[in-house]
Amino acid sequence: MTAEAEKPNIITSSLDFLVNWGRTNSLWPFPYGTACCAIEFMSTEVGRYDLSRIGSEYVRFTPRQSDVLLVAGTITYKQAPILKRIYEQMAEPRWVIAMGACACSGGFYDCYCTVPGIDHIIPVDVYIGGCPSRPEAFFDAMFDLQKKIKDESYMKQRAERVKDQLEMIKAKTAEAKANAKEFAREKVVDIKDFVVSKEQEIVKKAQFWKE
Amino acid sequence: MNTVEEIFSVLEEKFGVKRDTRDKWGVCAVVGAAYLHNVVQFLKDSAAIKFEMLVDIAGIDYLTYPNHEGPRFAVSYAFKSVSTPGQRIRLKVQVSEDSLKVPTISDLFANANWYEREVFDQFGIVFTGHPDLRRLLNHVEFVGHPLRKDYPAQKRQWLSTNDYLLPALEKRLEDLGYRVVQRSKEVGTNDNEFLEGSIKE
Repeated sequence: MTAEAEKPNIITSSLDFLVNWGRTNSLWPFPYGTACCAIEFMSTEVGRYDLSRIGSEYVRFTPRQSDVLLVAGTITYKQAPILKRIYEQMAEPRWVIAMGACACSGGFYDCYCTVPGIDHIIPVDVYIGGCPSRPEAFFDAMFDLQKKIKDESYMKQRAERVKDQLEMIKAKTAEAKANAKEFAREKVVDIKDFVVSKEQEIVKKAQFWKE
Repeated sequence: MNTVEEIFSVLEEKFGVKRDTRDKWGVCAVVGAAYLHNVVQFLKDSAAIKFEMLVDIAGIDYLTYPNHEGPRFAVSYAFKSVSTPGQRIRLKVQVSEDSLKVPTISDLFANANWYEREVFDQFGIVFTGHPDLRRLLNHVEFVGHPLRKDYPAQKRQWLSTNDYLLPALEKRLEDLGYRVVQRSKEVGTNDNEFLEGSIKE
């Protein structure tokens, strides 16, 4: 709430580094697999490619415990509200990877039933091309996501979050100051009037006694 | 050894079935909608070659079909024989646009239930006597029938809520004689609570 949070200093930047380090190296994916891209994700996860070595140790099948929503496959209009609901159930911070042509753009399903890209429903951080994408491409996307997370600033996000509150407090403070000033000025005027009237009285009395 | 040809001649005698001349495999017969149920029952139970297996039910829209005469829609049934391997037969029911009605065969073949729901979903053909004729593939708020030739193929329709299937399921089960003894707290039937967080907002 004070100036320290608005400008970076040694404490906040260290905190940023620490938070980002933790988040970068424990990205737990939630696989929303609906098509062949999910098979590629399975091969990414198991021994040959081994996603665990970059810290994505567990695949969590509940949105409450995962950080990355991995949309692998075609999303139809019947599924769109379900995907949206799962995204909303995830705890922040959360990121989304659109894996494969179908999730990115609808792919070759240019028809009545397929959503043309999941960015119509939820915000997407990283897109992967391919039909289906290779595990290497998936790793590349994870590295991109890690780079993106390393650039994030927890304190800046916090400042962004409390921005409204801060502005409200500043406005309230300014209003209170103005009120106090007005009140003080009125008081001063009153005292001046009082002094002037007293002076006049004294002058009158002095004239009376002179006479 | 009986052949499909003999069955066709029996069908022609009994039910007035016509051979489809344009079918290149020569196993297709055109049936009137009124006789369909009897023909299927005959093929399943008492024909010389019994066709015990319903392979598929498909709808056809002839709107943009070249040189087509007759009703716009047709429903095609594919049967296969299990007791006499290798024998197949197809039945075709022509459906005019004015009365989109075909009798159901889901009482004879259980798998016809979902096939007919699919044909109803994609073509809008109503199967009379079907126990549960709802959309199968498209969502509940979908307007129109997408596999008709006059439906624009790229016309997209958003679904605003989740398909909330539990009340309908409970009602169906209660109609069948079951009753709800206990309901989990998480799956309450409060619609407002359920719609929170969906696209509708």
